[in-house]
Amino acid sequence: MARKARIVYTNRPWEATGICSGCRLCELWCSVEHNQTFNPVRSRIRVVEIQTGIDVPVTCQQCPDPACLKACRFQAIALDEKLHIPLVDEDKCTGCKECLGACPFGIITLDPATHKAIKCDLCGGGEPACVAICPSRVLAALDDEGAAEYNRRRFAALLAGDDELRRLRPGGEEPVPEKLRREVERP
Amino acid sequence: MSGTCYAGKMLRVDLSSGRIESEEFGTALTDLHLGGRGVSSKVLYDEVPPEVEPFDPDNRLIFSPGALHGTGVPAASRTTVATRSPLTGMHGDGHAGATWGGELKRAGYDLLIVQGRAEKPVYLYLDDQTAELKSAAAYWGRLTSQTHQALARDLNRPELCTVTIGPAGENLVRLAGVFHNGADKGVSARCGMGAVMGSKNLKAIATRGRGEVGAADLPALRSAYQDYLETIALDPYCPPATKYGTCRFMMHRVKFGIHGAENWRYGAYDWSRLDPEVFRGDFQVKAGACVACPIRCRRDYRIASGPFAGITAKVEWETIARSMTCGIKEPEAVIAWANLCNHYGLDVEGLGDTVAFAMECFEKGILTKKETDGLELRFGRVEALLELSRRIALREGDLAGILAEGTKRAAQKIGQGSEKLAIQVKGGEMTAGDPRGMPVRAVSYATSTRGGDHLRSNPYIEEIMTPEEALEWWGSEEAADIAKGLKGKGRMLKFSEDLVTIGDILGLCKFAYYRSATFPYLYRKGVHLATRFYNACSGRNLSEEEMLLAGERAWNIEKAYNTRCGADRSDDTIPERFFSEPLLGGGPSGGAVVEREKFDRILDEYYEDRRFDPETGLPTRAGLTRLGLKDIADDLEKRGRLAG
Repeated sequence: MARKARIVYTNRPWEATGICSGCRLCELWCSVEHNQTFNPVRSRIRVVEIQTGIDVPVTCQQCPDPACLKACRFQAIALDEKLHIPLVDEDKCTGCKECLGACPFGIITLDPATHKAIKCDLCGGGEPACVAICPSRVLAALDDEGAAEYNRRRFAALLAGDDELRRLRPGGEEPVPEKLRREVERP
Repeated sequence: MSGTCYAGKMLRVDLSSGRIESEEFGTALTDLHLGGRGVSSKVLYDEVPPEVEPFDPDNRLIFSPGALHGTGVPAASRTTVATRSPLTGMHGDGHAGATWGGELKRAGYDLLIVQGRAEKPVYLYLDDQTAELKSAAAYWGRLTSQTHQALARDLNRPELCTVTIGPAGENLVRLAGVFHNGADKGVSARCGMGAVMGSKNLKAIATRGRGEVGAADLPALRSAYQDYLETIALDPYCPPATKYGTCRFMMHRVKFGIHGAENWRYGAYDWSRLDPEVFRGDFQVKAGACVACPIRCRRDYRIASGPFAGITAKVEWETIARSMTCGIKEPEAVIAWANLCNHYGLDVEGLGDTVAFAMECFEKGILTKKETDGLELRFGRVEALLELSRRIALREGDLAGILAEGTKRAAQKIGQGSEKLAIQVKGGEMTAGDPRGMPVRAVSYATSTRGGDHLRSNPYIEEIMTPEEALEWWGSEEAADIAKGLKGKGRMLKFSEDLVTIGDILGLCKFAYYRSATFPYLYRKGVHLATRFYNACSGRNLSEEEMLLAGERAWNIEKAYNTRCGADRSDDTIPERFFSEPLLGGGPSGGAVVEREKFDRILDEYYEDRRFDPETGLPTRAGLTRLGLKDIADDLEKRGRLAG
């Protein structure tokens, strides 16, 4: 069975507001969803700043053949029957961290409060908290078909060339109509 | 149970003795002062009497994250750093939007007080509950960005949060700021914070926290969040903020013709290449955001070609405005200058005015090439601006050493009538737009508790209010008239000061909460939603009136602090230039001056509404006790600084 979904960074780099802004609201509201407190270290999605101006949200890819599952010596990670994604059984997890080293994306982490492994669980299947809160709308929970559609679009943009896209729409959006221009005049 | 937005502890670090003490924070301070600027102002009043000079070891450096900072409340990103300012000699604070304050809370502290002076350069390392002072020998002399990166690497903490000073702070340049997470994230810029940190031999505070910041009532928080999103979707102020960032304010300055270019002489000025469209189209990296902000008006700009190719810098509107004060007309120069200031640890606002002052001195022949070491210090000369800024940061040469003291002290030193060219209020350089043609704005610069400043109040209310609203709120329709109105303006100014102080107390960004296209939206965001957010996160039940009162209380403490330092009504004024020299360059406000009579009448009404004595400008016992500040009234009386 294919995974139900995974969180994809659906950025639109040819738009100024189509890139992760680095606001980290996803981290804050992910931790609230799971722990009722704000703590980025306990978030299952993490925003990594590569350098000034380049922030990338990173979370579990819900691999069909997960390295974390294979690394676990306590059978604490298993594929969920409903969502077909790897989930951690907190009762079985010993906090040995083997899965942390095994995950190629570094996105299964240790909860500093419970000392158990934590990873994205898609918030149980509804709209994930990170997707709901993202002001730039660059996070989406996509099934494999949706991911293919997005990848196709991204590939097309690559073929078109970012320069071309920027030239047509400077700064990303439609040219500013006179009406909006007047709105700028407000303080 | 998910706790509250308070961590519950405070940390006191004595650099002289090396003692680090964690104390229970309790509710003694937060009950009345909530957090952020409210708490820091009170601590500064209580712990730094006027006998303690800014660079004395006994001066405090107070780090106080806004009450809501660290939570997921939209745009709750701000941290206050307060101290007795070496620039004004009075109350000083600076505010920055970044992640460091939230990290301090997650390390377990609502407040960090640094006192004393280390013998050798040190930095403070906070890793959750462990706190230690370490040698900063390897970092002293390095730029803000280098220090941040080196600390993260040396401590093996790639996600480390820091506050640092650059070379400017180390060299006690009174225009130095405290920089959050390197050069381009945020800076507590005003009032010379960085110099005080340098005087304590404290290079940085490196912080990692893995604890919790909670919210007492999550459903209430979620519902307020939804209402906030709806409000910003409807408020016409917000979409251009996301689209252009703060460089959008250019259109406001153009509309009123109040650029203050060439050391506050020209109202209209050539802005064609500083158009928000140019910044957006040619230089913008993306719509960036401070932590937790859905508005996303933070901007990094990158220069792709030309002599400055490859430079990236965070640029806010004030950097552009102060560049114009120095006669700069090219966006490349603005970005390069911002880059330089951010790395050397300088406050662009204070520095821009100071360089502009020196440029006018040069044009008038008060300074010559002999003093400037061969520098052709004319308005609009990019190399002169960059080179002098670098020299000031390093105090390289006699002139740079004099200018590093800030405009007011530099003018006193240089003399020869240059005092008239120093555009400062109480020693703090002026910011934002020219007040000529806008009387209430002129008064707002004068009454600001940290020297000339536009973020201390929001007199822009007059531009968005209808006459009917003005009548209802300030008792006079004419308060909505920008140029001619008088009656009600003092009351409006007082309200706007209390209003924006709420933002500094709670850690809410002023652009996200305290600027709007209409007054109802402004009140809804700035008072109604701010109060709901605070109640949901703290578990308290403050009314909107009590929230405004908290803002008023912080303001009165700062006023009392300045009064105790010797300030009175004569200090609540603006530079003579604005009264007597008509605005040049034509345009909508061309030829305007601030009329002294109008200025005084608004100030009278303001004092009356503030319950200060209009004769002397001193606080009254009745006014202070009404706010629960009897202890401060007693202290002022003892020192003979209470009215009547």
